[in-house]
Amino acid sequence: MKFLPYILKHLRRSWVRTASTVLAMSVCIFLFCTLRTFVEAVTWNLQSAKSSLLVTRHAVSLVFNLPVAYKERIAALPGVRGVAATNWFGGSRRPNDFKDFFPNFAVEVADYLPMHPEYILPEDQKRAFLEDRRGCMIGRKTADRFGWKIGDTFQLESFIPPYRVGKPFEFVVRGIFDTDLARFPGTDTTAMFFQWKYLYEATGQRVGAGTYVIEIANPAQATAIARAVDALFDNSDAQTKTETEAAFRASFASLAGNLALLLNGIALAVMFTILLVTANTMSMAMRERRTEIAVLKTLGFSSARVMGLILAESAFLGALGGTVGIALGVVMIRNLTNVPFLGDAVRGFPNLGLSPMIATLGFSAALLLGILAGFVPALLAYRSRITDMLRQV
Amino acid sequence: MAMVELQKVRRVYRRDTQEITVLDGIDLTVPEGEFVALMGPSGSGKTTLLNLIAGIDRPTSGVVRVAGTDVGQLSESALAQWRSRSIGFIFQFYNLIPVLTAIENVELPLLLTRLSRKERRDRAVTALKVVKLADRASHYPRQLSGGQEQRVAIARAIVADPKVLVADEPTGDLDARSAEEILGLMETLNREFHKTIVMVTHDPRASQRAHTQKHLDKGVLREEA
Repeated sequence: MKFLPYILKHLRRSWVRTASTVLAMSVCIFLFCTLRTFVEAVTWNLQSAKSSLLVTRHAVSLVFNLPVAYKERIAALPGVRGVAATNWFGGSRRPNDFKDFFPNFAVEVADYLPMHPEYILPEDQKRAFLEDRRGCMIGRKTADRFGWKIGDTFQLESFIPPYRVGKPFEFVVRGIFDTDLARFPGTDTTAMFFQWKYLYEATGQRVGAGTYVIEIANPAQATAIARAVDALFDNSDAQTKTETEAAFRASFASLAGNLALLLNGIALAVMFTILLVTANTMSMAMRERRTEIAVLKTLGFSSARVMGLILAESAFLGALGGTVGIALGVVMIRNLTNVPFLGDAVRGFPNLGLSPMIATLGFSAALLLGILAGFVPALLAYRSRITDMLRQV
Repeated sequence: MAMVELQKVRRVYRRDTQEITVLDGIDLTVPEGEFVALMGPSGSGKTTLLNLIAGIDRPTSGVVRVAGTDVGQLSESALAQWRSRSIGFIFQFYNLIPVLTAIENVELPLLLTRLSRKERRDRAVTALKVVKLADRASHYPRQLSGGQEQRVAIARAIVADPKVLVADEPTGDLDARSAEEILGLMETLNREFHKTIVMVTHDPRASQRAHTQKHLDKGVLREEA
């Protein structure tokens, strides 16, 4: 600690250089934290996928619905415990305004809820939800966000053409669900579920099932049952594609995998560039201070101590840049939803926020970058001979 | 008692395939409390000899014993520790750290001790008082004249109370008046604080202030006055 003022004074010596290095480092850490947060948000709910669930969808695209009649045929297959139709409704409170967007689904509640123990709902609320055609259950986060309570009503209008019926759908909050993230990590409590029949009837029974969620008795038979389901409809107009819930989510968010690779690549490239910039800064600073290093050694500072001082200075630069970068990241991510265009894209992500883990990772990366950047100049100072350095003055 | 003792010291530098003998069989004894001036033309090996005495260079052969320690036998870290305790170095160009104030520069060697912050400060103030610069404690080197900078450098050299002071042309970058002040100060340190001083100088007037003058020529001690 007694060397800290010495280190700080050196950082203040060329404050423009120090400030620009800290700024470069902070931009790097800011990018790292923001990109990691983005990737984490995209891939977050993959964690909650269950091995006992299969998802059947139209073989061509998710855009096309499946016939309602498929349910009975799937349910009759051996090893199948239950089947529930689900449709992504894509509703928003104001048409084409996604500022208040939250994920909303039409589901066959009686079949769907037993498959999803992660949605924890009091029994009386569950009953009320089942009995009310306009009823819905909403996640705690969405309830808190809009201040909705049991019995409140609200309207949603879908942007998907088949679900647009000339007026908004009206819903009554019959249940507010929580979850236990320790048991069910990745569970989204921003989602809203309503009766599939409400959608079906309101659209004049013209829509089918977006997907069928299938619960199977033995996860080891997932592949065989998936094949059996698809084989059922091989010769029909609407062929199916069945896969595990995890594979479905991953393919649905196939973008996520590539995006993660791309964003991680960008973050790594930026970090490497900043490493070179900081290493250059440290090398310049050390070259200017050759005499000082020689003087310190003459005064009795050991080579290891001189090396430690340089590394500490470099690490301090990193830590400072990391702190500023994380602060920038927190502010940016908090306000990301207000950014035009980009805000609409990220609003649907549950759990969007700079997690302590990413912040710690970002800070550690900054510290490591700082230390790595200072390593070569520190090593050169360690190895340098006093007489050589004094002679070169 | 000999404070500095050199026996058959050789220092050879290797440049590519060529060997350059800078010091060739130097024998030198400096008694405790002595003030010695090392003189000689450029390239005669004065600074190399001083560096060997100060423990910032090692002899190619021979023995360098300072304050009873065989300097050549110490490891790198032990030598650094020894320097911090036993040697005060005064440079020609002062070599103060520009981002530190006068008192912080003086305090620098004490950072290697276990003294408390207050003790370090007190000792630094005392050293600055010895060089009559206590009133400039909070000034940065750029705010001081050359003579004042050298006095701060001397305060830094004596703050850890070393037995030996080595000075490499301490007046070489100063005007006559400042040089006179510095030489007076070194005399005081020798006379009143009993420091053994080895000073390299080109200046005959400076060498006159020493008790003994030694002349180096082409790496050999030629004569003693």
